[in-house]
Amino acid sequence: MHTWDDRQPIYQQLADQLAAGLLDGDPAEGHAMPSVRALATLHLLNPLTVNRALQTLGDEGLLENRRGMGFFVNPGARERLRSAERQRFLELEWPRLRERLRRLEISPEQLSWEAK
Amino acid sequence: MNDNLVEAKSLSISYGAKRAVDDVSFNIPKGRVVGLLGHNGAGKSTLMRAMVGLAQGTGGLTVLGLDPCKDRVQLLQNACYIPDVAILPRWARVEELISMMSGLNPNFSAERARQLLKRTSVGLRDKVKTLSKGMMVQAHLALTAAIDARLMILDEPTLGLDVLSRKAFYEMLIDEWCDGERSVLISTHQVEEIESLLSDVLMLNEGKLVLSISLEDMDRRFVALSHDSAVADAMSAAHPLLRYRTGPGPAGNAAIFDGAPPEHVMALGQRVRPNLVDLFVALTRKPELDRTQF
Repeated sequence: MHTWDDRQPIYQQLADQLAAGLLDGDPAEGHAMPSVRALATLHLLNPLTVNRALQTLGDEGLLENRRGMGFFVNPGARERLRSAERQRFLELEWPRLRERLRRLEISPEQLSWEAK
Repeated sequence: MNDNLVEAKSLSISYGAKRAVDDVSFNIPKGRVVGLLGHNGAGKSTLMRAMVGLAQGTGGLTVLGLDPCKDRVQLLQNACYIPDVAILPRWARVEELISMMSGLNPNFSAERARQLLKRTSVGLRDKVKTLSKGMMVQAHLALTAAIDARLMILDEPTLGLDVLSRKAFYEMLIDEWCDGERSVLISTHQVEEIESLLSDVLMLNEGKLVLSISLEDMDRRFVALSHDSAVADAMSAAHPLLRYRTGPGPAGNAAIFDGAPPEHVMALGQRVRPNLVDLFVALTRKPELDRTQF
């Protein structure tokens, strides 16, 4: 019934989950986010927690809170998320991955870019 | 107008020599989902019964601005209650219960009850005795949520229900009841399951209120540190409320503190979200069950 871990506050986990959706274009830019009530019911969360998650994405400029109409995805939200993710990959994940490739003595030529 | 739906001030309730509720003070504002937690016999049901005028205590208790004992009839038009021993009359059909409720409570809407029942697998022609436990609780919630009230009091509503029925129950509660104005007070032993639904928590231990806090403030006030077993002694020396295991291996240790411990202790672990179950264990454990010794 619960998919929340102990590493971060629940609202932050929901915000991350919603941001991952936005990165995949769900919902698309310019479109409305699901309502607080719909998200609360779907995830069995307190509506205040859901509101806080949406507010967090609003503060990051990804969503716009239109009074009385709910949250909408801002134009450029995907690109902003993608560039943030890209930076995170290059700063955090790539050094670890590079280290592992070195240790395993895997050269760039051995890496296939074609999906099997 | 005052936004508090419930105000308790130094409230005590006794059964003979036994103090079931001991000097508790708290408020329930509007638009909240409040969890009432405590072991069996901690005083949860007694406190709930007092809120609807079924138990009398000393000290102050107002519900929707009314005295529950004196103004019970008026109160019950705006507050609804499902007791832990809730049973619908077995011989009745669901539609008969709707007519009965229409006659009993002027704020009950038969139309809304029928609409809420559509969410469930309960039919209007069904007799109560043919319903499964899960269906019966769903029907009871539908009938109760059809009262246009401001406060709902639920005493262990999901006891004995399977996981799907509990999920359906909570879904209906959030979707159909929580509108930012109404509040609900709900007691349960399934602390882990209900944590994400709550906005606030009231914790009773042997009649005393040991915690009354919003979940948001709980995250700020209590500091949980996940740490390696190598620093276990240093953690213990900083007097945590509780030390517990979060997983296998030496890294699966955690300690929970009321307020941030000194910086040198903070540096020994990684801050994680304090969860309600661990806090519940920490604040309501009996001394003889000291879990710091494992």
